[in-house]
This record gives sequence, C-alpha cells and structure tokens, in this order.
Amino acid sequence: MSGVSKTFRRREGGEHLALSAIDLAVAEGEFVSILGPSGCGKSTLLYMLGGFVAPSSGSIRVGDRPVTGPGPDRGPVFQEFALFPWKTVLGNVAYGLREQGVARVAAEARARALIAQVGLKDYETFYPKELSGGMKQRVAIARTLAYDPAILLMDEPFGALDAHTRTRLQNDLLSLWERDRKTVLFVTHSVDEAVFLSDRVVVMSRSPGRIKADVTIDLPRPRRRADLLLDARYQRHVIDLERLIDDAPDVGVRP
Amino acid sequence: MSARLLARAPIGLLPIAVLIGIWQAVALSGLAPPALLPRPALVFARVLEQLGQPEFLLHAAATLRRLFAGFVVALVLGVALGLAAGVNRRVDAVVRPLVRILAPIPKIALYPALILTLGFDDAPKIVLVAADSFFPILLATLQGARAVEPKLVWAARAAGTSAAASIYKVVLPATLPAILTGCRIGLVVSCIVVFLAEMISSTDGLGWVLVNAARRFQTVDMFVPLIAISVLGLALNLGLSAIRARLLVGFPEEA
Repeated sequence: MSGVSKTFRRREGGEHLALSAIDLAVAEGEFVSILGPSGCGKSTLLYMLGGFVAPSSGSIRVGDRPVTGPGPDRGPVFQEFALFPWKTVLGNVAYGLREQGVARVAAEARARALIAQVGLKDYETFYPKELSGGMKQRVAIARTLAYDPAILLMDEPFGALDAHTRTRLQNDLLSLWERDRKTVLFVTHSVDEAVFLSDRVVVMSRSPGRIKADVTIDLPRPRRRADLLLDARYQRHVIDLERLIDDAPDVGVRP
Repeated sequence: MSARLLARAPIGLLPIAVLIGIWQAVALSGLAPPALLPRPALVFARVLEQLGQPEFLLHAAATLRRLFAGFVVALVLGVALGLAAGVNRRVDAVVRPLVRILAPIPKIALYPALILTLGFDDAPKIVLVAADSFFPILLATLQGARAVEPKLVWAARAAGTSAAASIYKVVLPATLPAILTGCRIGLVVSCIVVFLAEMISSTDGLGWVLVNAARRFQTVDMFVPLIAISVLGLALNLGLSAIRARLLVGFPEEA
C-alpha cells in the first residue's frame, strides 16, 4: 500500500459543502489523527474512506485500487460501538471471520483469543447490553481486528467514554498498535488524545471542511503516558495544536 | 422474563375479574332479561362442558387453522415487503402510496367477491385474515427497518457482507423488535377477522357456532365461542411473548 490520496467535494442536504478539496496521503503503518471541531466533516471523511459514503467529486485510493465500497481491508470502529445486539460478545467478534469464510470452530477459537487480548476473557457469552461502554468498545475493536484489516478507521472511538476508561483504552490501543503497526486513521476532537497516539495530526477547519495544518508528532515510541505528560515536546505540541484550533473563526455553538 | 410474566399474571387477572363482576351485577339486576344476558356462571359452566365435546374442539381447530394460515401468509409477505421498502427507496416509493390507499379499506367488504372467486371453503377466509393482518405487520416492519442504525450495516459490510446479504444478516435481526410488535397487532386482527368471516359464511368454526346458536336463540351458547376466541387470543399473545423473550434476548428491554 503506497498511500491514500483524495480530492473531493460533498453536498450534505441542499448545497452545503461539507468538505472541500481535501488532499491527504497516509503511509502504510502510519498513525494519523484527524482533529477538528464538530461539524467539520472529519467523520464524513472517514466514512468515505470506508466506502460507506460516496464522495461528490474527487477520488479515493487505497494502494493502487480506487475505493468503490466497503471492504475488509478497511475496518471501522464507531463512537456508537454499533455492536450487533442480537449476538453475544463471541458472536460479534466471530462475525467477520465467518463472513470471510472461516469455519465456525476456527472462527470461534480466533475470536476467543482476540477477546482475551482486549481483556474481556470470560465475557464471551454476554450480550452487548450487559457490558459497560468501555467494554463495548473493546468488543467493537476486537470485532474489527478479527478480519485483520490493513487500515483501521476509528471515528471518535473513545468519545462516548468517561475520562478514566478513555485513558485506559488509549493505552491499550497504543500497545496493540505498537505490536501490529496497522495503518490507523483516528478521528477525534481531543488534542491530548491526538498528540498522545499519533505520528501525524491533521487539523481541519469548519464550513467547508478543509485541511488547515498537518503536524508531525516526533515523539519517541513506545510512548508511556507518564513520561509523555512531563515531556516538553508533548506539551509544546498540545499548546500549538490548541492554538491552531482556537484560531478558527468559531461562529456560534453548533453541534 | 417468563418468571416476571408469571409474577404479573395475578395483577393482570384483576381487571378481568372486575369485568366478570360487572357482568354478574348487570345480569342479576334485571336490567337485561336473562334470556339475552345469561349469568357468567351459566356461560362458564357451558364453556367447560363444551371443552369436553369433540365437536366443539373441531370448530375451534378449524378457526385456529384459518387464523394461523392467514397470519403466516401476512407475516411472510409483510416482513418481506416491509424490509424491501425499508432498505430500498424505489420500492418504498411504490409501496407507501399503495399502503395509504389500501390499508383503510375494510377488507371484509371484499369477502363476497372472495367467496365468488375462491369458493366457500377455507381459502377466502384465509385470504381475508392475511389481507387484514398484513398491513400492521408491513407498517411495523417498514418503520423498524427504516430506523436501523446504518452503522450496524456498515460494520457488517466492512467485514465482507454483501449489500444483499446484509438485509437478512443485519437489517432483519435489527428489525425483529418492530416486527414482533407488528405481529402482536396482526394476531389480534387475525382473531377478529377469522371470526367475522366464519360468521358471514361458514359451515364450521367458532364464528359459525355463534351464528348457529343465535339462530336458535340459545344465548348461553352464543357466549361460548366469544369466550373461546378471547381465550384463544390470550393464549396466542402469551405464546408470542414467549417467542419474543427468546428472540430478543440481547435487545435492550422494551415496554
């Protein structure tokens, strides 16, 4: 995979230009955060990459192939978890494997291993409604990792979680990523989260959504939260990015 | 769920007991002549007596057979069309206007024509039951399918499920709560309609038993099929609740 690049426009309702002329290339194995205020179209950007939403113009490529629809090379993780409520934890995680043609026994064995990996051993027979938000997101991540996508598309995955759970999931995601080195596109509106996790942070502005800045985060890996918080470079990045976002003419409070 | 149903049953019996009490009071007060409104005790004694009669049970079986046949036809067609319209805007554009003009028509008005074309046997009654319970099931399914979180479908599509397969692998199970609500209404409608059809033209069934008793002015016997269809409806509803509890085990609790 050489990278993802695209240019497009999109209309949302009437003639609203949600995203305008976005060019973005991401290298294989890179962890890129897309940071911006709500309503800047950063989630839409991700949905188009996933092939769930078609761009109005421009093109999206993964490697050499244009994106025409969803595919198991790009695995989404949503803020709302989007787990199948009628399936157990095991059923949810095994779903993608079964769809990929893996036999039931093998799929369930692999699913069990993944469930243990995200720290939910012994919860295999639980239904999503019986789990906390953090646990649901762990299941959703395991469900996506199950079919081994080359690219993870994470849409504010920790946005609905409390601060403590959020921190723990960030740490766990980071250690997972440092082992697998999948390409990750991570949409967030949290500056700390973006700096802590990413190799690069793409800052977007609103109405229409445009890329405003592309900042390389040159912090050493593996990263540990305690070290980072004291690191002057980390603090510098956070302050710079916050200023970048504040500079955006933020007219009114629109959800 | 079933334990809770049992626990709630005594409270549910109270209003029924009050209703029978009012019946008893009216019958005793002399407001209605005993020839028209027999005392409940007489009626229930007759119900018990009839339950031991193979002839009466055959009538009940005939009604049940027509009810089920019509209901199953309505269920299959209603769910299929509801799902199709729920996921496809073009099908929706065709189905919706048709439903608007056809749903309010009293289907019983078609019954004479049905008898002429289908004969006096089960067929016209089954068609009538199907026609009447079809609409509540269709509308509930359509609304439920429309409300399915698109991200559930996206999650499945990314895992390799085709667009067509996602209809029965994701949209159908996600719509189950709504479909079962439609079924509950459809079952009640089926009870009413099968009884009506049998009253209008039949040689057997609970509706015929009522008409036959009325012709001979046997008021006690007229009440027996009414009680029977009411108990039948109650039993069907309990059965549906049991199925619902089993099928919706992972879904958040509904009223």
